[in-house]
Amino acid sequence: MRDKNIKIDVTDGAAIPTRRDPGLFNAWRVTLIGTVIAIVSLVIFKPDPYLRIIKFVPDGILITFQVTFLSIALSLIVGLFTGLGRLSKNRAINLIASVYVEVIRGIPLLVQLFYIYYALGTFFRIHPFTAAVTAMTVCYGAYMGEVFRAGIQSIDKGQTEAARSLGFSKSQTMFYVIIPQAMRTILPPVGNEFIALLKDTSLVSILAVSDLLRRGREFATQTFAYFETYTMVALLYLMITLILSKIVSIMEDKVKPYDQK
Amino acid sequence: MTKSDETIITIENIYKFFGDIEALSNVSLKVRKKEKMVIIGPSGSGKSTLLRAINRLEGVDRGKIVIDGQDITDRHCNINKVRMELGMVFQNFNLFPHKSVLQNLTMAPIKLKKVPPVQARENAMRLLEKVGIKEKATAYPSQLSGGQQQRVAIARALAMNPKIMLFDEPTSALDPEMIGEVLDVMVNLALEGMTMVVVTHEMGFARQVADWVVFMDEGKIVETGTPEHFFQSPEHPRTKKFLSQIL
Repeated sequence: MRDKNIKIDVTDGAAIPTRRDPGLFNAWRVTLIGTVIAIVSLVIFKPDPYLRIIKFVPDGILITFQVTFLSIALSLIVGLFTGLGRLSKNRAINLIASVYVEVIRGIPLLVQLFYIYYALGTFFRIHPFTAAVTAMTVCYGAYMGEVFRAGIQSIDKGQTEAARSLGFSKSQTMFYVIIPQAMRTILPPVGNEFIALLKDTSLVSILAVSDLLRRGREFATQTFAYFETYTMVALLYLMITLILSKIVSIMEDKVKPYDQK
Repeated sequence: MTKSDETIITIENIYKFFGDIEALSNVSLKVRKKEKMVIIGPSGSGKSTLLRAINRLEGVDRGKIVIDGQDITDRHCNINKVRMELGMVFQNFNLFPHKSVLQNLTMAPIKLKKVPPVQARENAMRLLEKVGIKEKATAYPSQLSGGQQQRVAIARALAMNPKIMLFDEPTSALDPEMIGEVLDVMVNLALEGMTMVVVTHEMGFARQVADWVVFMDEGKIVETGTPEHFFQSPEHPRTKKFLSQIL
C-alpha cells in the first residue's frame, strides 16, 4: 500500500511557515514584523546613514534576485535531469549523473565559484554574472537532483505499473503520473533549497557581482559605517528570505488539493 | 456458450527466473476469444507472474507469448500498442490519486488514443454507470471505499476498450463486505463476452464464470480443466490437497 506520509527532511534553509504548525507560523510572523519595524524605525530615527544605505543598495537587491531566480530556474531543469539520470537503468547515464552529484557535493560552493570564474577564466573570458549563475546552477542542480530522485522514488511502484499497463510509455508515465504526484513530496525540500540558494548568492559578491552584499560593502568602505551597513544588509536578507519562505508555503498549499479537500 | 475458435492469447513454453528460483517453468496456455480463464494456486505458485507476463509487466526469460497475432516476446514489438488492447486490474487498485475518478478514466483514451475529450467523458460516464458509481465521477480516489476504487479501476481499464481483461487478485485487498460488488461487475463483464484471465481465490467466481480453471504450483501448471472437472473430480493429488484446504 502507499505510504502517504513521506516527508523529505533537509536541514539547510529557513523554516517554511505552515498553518498546520501554528508555532512555526507565529515565529515567522513575529520575525517578519520585527524585521520590518527594525528597518523602518532605523530609517526614520537615524536617517543618516540608514536612509542613505537604503537608497544605495536597491541595485544590489535586484542583482541578488536576478542571480537567485535564474539559478533556481536553471537548477530545476538540471536537477530534474540529474534525478532522472540517477534513476536511469542505463549504466552510463546513471554513472555520469551519480559522479556529478558526488563531485559537486564534495566541493564547497565558494571554491566552485572561484574555480569557474578564476580557474576556467584563464582559458576563456567569462562574465562575472554568468560565472555566478553557472556556479549556482551547477551546485544546486546536484542538490535538487537528489531531491527529485527521492521524490520520484517515494511514489508507489503500482502507479508505474498501472500507467504502463494502460499503454503509456516510460516517459509519458513519468510526466503524466509520477512527477505530478512527486511534486507534493518534492516541494518542501525544493523550497528549502530555494531559500538556501538565495542566501548563498551572497557568495557571488566575491566575483565582483554587485549584489546586495557587495553594494553594502562598497557603501561601508566609502563611509566607514561598517556596523550600520551590515546591520541593514542582514535585515534586508532576512526580510527577503522570510517573504520567499512564505511564497513557498503558499505554493505547497496549492499542490496538495487531492487529499486535503 | 458459443465460442469462436480464434486463439487470442498463446503462451508457449515460457520460463521466468528470479535469481535461482524458477517462477515460471515451461508454462504453455491458449486462450480463445471470449473465453474466461481462472488461474488458481497457493501463494508463490507463479500465478501472478504468469498473468503479468501476458502484458509484459514481467518479461520472460525463455519462450514465446503471442497476443492477438503480436509476439510480445519479440524485442521489436511495440508493447505500448499491445497493452492498449489489454486491460489490467490490480490487487491494490492503483488508481491515480492526483486525478479525479473521471480523469482516471479519460486520461489514457485522450492521451493515447487521441479520443476527443467530450467523447472520452461521455464514454467514461457510461462506464461509471455500468460499474454503479456514476455519482462519484468528481470525487478523488482517496474519498472512495476499496470496493468503489476497484470498480473505478475496472472502468478505467475498460475505457481503453480492450480486447482482453487481466485481473490480478482483484478482491484480495478488499474488506469481505465489498468483495461482492466487485465480483458482480466482473460477472457482468463476463456475460457481455469479454475475454478474461483472472487470478483469484474466489472459488465461487471460478465455478460460476470460468470456462477453464488452471491450477498452478511451483511455477508449473499442474492441472487444467473445466470447473466441473476441477471441483468435482480433480486428478492430481496436489490439486486435491489444495482444494481440500480452501473449500
